[in-house]
Amino acid sequence: MKKFLVLFLTVILVLSFAASCKKKAKEVPPPPPPQAQEQPRVEKVEEPVLKEPVLTEEEIFMRKTLEEINQEKPLAMIHFDYDKYNIRPDAVPVLEANASWLKKHPTVKILIEGHCDERGTEEYNLSLGEKRAKSTMEYLTSLGISADRIRIISYGKSQPLDPGHDETAWAKNRRAQFLIIEK
Amino acid sequence: MKKLAVFSLTFLLVLLALTAGPRLFPQQEIVLTIREGVPAISLALPPFSYEASSTQAREAADTIHQVLADDLRYSRVFSLVPREHLNYIRPLNPREIFFKDWESIQTRILVVGEISQSQNRIIFEVKVYDVKSERMILGKRYQAEPDVYRLVAHRVADELMKLYGEKPFFTSKIVFVSNRDGNDELYMMDYDGANQTRLTFNKWRDYMPAWSPDQRAIAFTSYRAGNPDLYILYPYEGKLVPVSTRGTNFSGAFSPDGKKLAFCSTRDGNSEIYVANADGSNVRRITFNSAIDTAPSWSPTGREIAFTSDRTGTPQIYIMDAEGGNVRKVSFGGNYLDAPAWSPDGERIAFVSRVDNFFDLYILNLKTNKITKLTETSARNESPSWSPDGRHIIFSSNLSGSIQIYSIDYDASNLRCLTSQGENKLANWTN
Repeated sequence: MKKFLVLFLTVILVLSFAASCKKKAKEVPPPPPPQAQEQPRVEKVEEPVLKEPVLTEEEIFMRKTLEEINQEKPLAMIHFDYDKYNIRPDAVPVLEANASWLKKHPTVKILIEGHCDERGTEEYNLSLGEKRAKSTMEYLTSLGISADRIRIISYGKSQPLDPGHDETAWAKNRRAQFLIIEK
Repeated sequence: MKKLAVFSLTFLLVLLALTAGPRLFPQQEIVLTIREGVPAISLALPPFSYEASSTQAREAADTIHQVLADDLRYSRVFSLVPREHLNYIRPLNPREIFFKDWESIQTRILVVGEISQSQNRIIFEVKVYDVKSERMILGKRYQAEPDVYRLVAHRVADELMKLYGEKPFFTSKIVFVSNRDGNDELYMMDYDGANQTRLTFNKWRDYMPAWSPDQRAIAFTSYRAGNPDLYILYPYEGKLVPVSTRGTNFSGAFSPDGKKLAFCSTRDGNSEIYVANADGSNVRRITFNSAIDTAPSWSPTGREIAFTSDRTGTPQIYIMDAEGGNVRKVSFGGNYLDAPAWSPDGERIAFVSRVDNFFDLYILNLKTNKITKLTETSARNESPSWSPDGRHIIFSSNLSGSIQIYSIDYDASNLRCLTSQGENKLANWTN
């Protein structure tokens, strides 16, 4: 009987607790209304990213402008001895590399510019610059580059690379350099 | 002994006086040469009289007198009677000239000028007297506005030159290349460097100009079409004619009769000399050699052409007939010679020689076969061109640091700089 009483009391207690809980819940105030100054959610605006297939070297090349290509200087210049226009041994690997680049880009046309140092006269240097451009062109054609892809021009001593007046500057200025004019 | 000491002291003083004078460049040699041919004609140029009430007439009198005096000093034909000698005689009265006065101060020629004003122009009347015979030998009247006072003076100087059988050149122009406006363009100027005027206006290089003998046409090289092409510019007609547009085309030179144009071109693959008609038509090749042939310069008769060739290994000066035959080497003693310029009297060829990285001008006398050095500088002196009378040579030099155009007399005296803005080169006066 005593046991039954305890159980009964416990049940009462639990019920009354539950009842009081219910009552309390009713007393909770409603949540405050959303504040007016709340920031809107930041929306990130983005174009969907295009995923291109991997470009071939040729496609990358064709996308560039002539100016961009020339800035990268894919064709290295070569230098000449004082008063000379023959191709020096150190220019041979440079021209070979240039020839293989030209073979890789068969549509490219180039201008070879012949330049001289300031120690020649205006008149003679214009001829010498042309001879340098021409021997450079002839070397490239001997490596299998078609002559109609190449134009030559002489600037004499009018466009020095290095404005100095010593052997270092002169050696730099006696040169044939390449400009891509068509691709 | 004492006498000798005095003598050597005087000698020393004279030497000092000679060396202490204004010297443009420390490297410049002092060259004391007796003038060629006849002694200069003593000419008196008293100040011009002018209408006292007119400031314009006074300004004109000052300018014309100054420019004319400069012209005559430059001529080497006349020598001016020193101004202070005029104090020894009665003042000039244009209405009544005391010729004995002028004779007493060693005057052979007396030039009398009077200026009056008429509206906004001036009238300049000039009379030239032969003092000994007391006769007027030339009288001229000019009407001018202020911008051509210098030209009036040059016209009078030309008349005086003609009077003595000399080739007048004071109204002629020098054509040259300047980069003062950003890139190489053609300009022209008076013989004394005044009135520098731009002739071409583009962003490409215009280069190596050469006058026709009448100074109505200029042959030159231009990169304006992406290639060094040869053109003829007619500056007074606003006309431009392409002549040769294959390969590199340069070193244009009109023949002395103005009928032909020689030039250098690589149109057939190698640097060769060609001759065309003066309008650029009928191009004919006259050199056939695998070496570089360049820089043609006509003899004054038009029968021969001097040029540069490296057919023996180094650039040397050659002469050939105007048709290309009879080629012979005329230079010797150098291993880099270029830019021959045949003198108007036909006897001399000026050229450039490179020695130890310096360029100097030399003159080869074809009669005596002797070579004399004209410039003596640690610089690059280039592109000689003769004055029409053959007493002066203009050239470009970097002796002041930047490249400028200079004038020097045939005997290496009277070096003067004609330009200062930007860099200036490739000056051409004749041929």
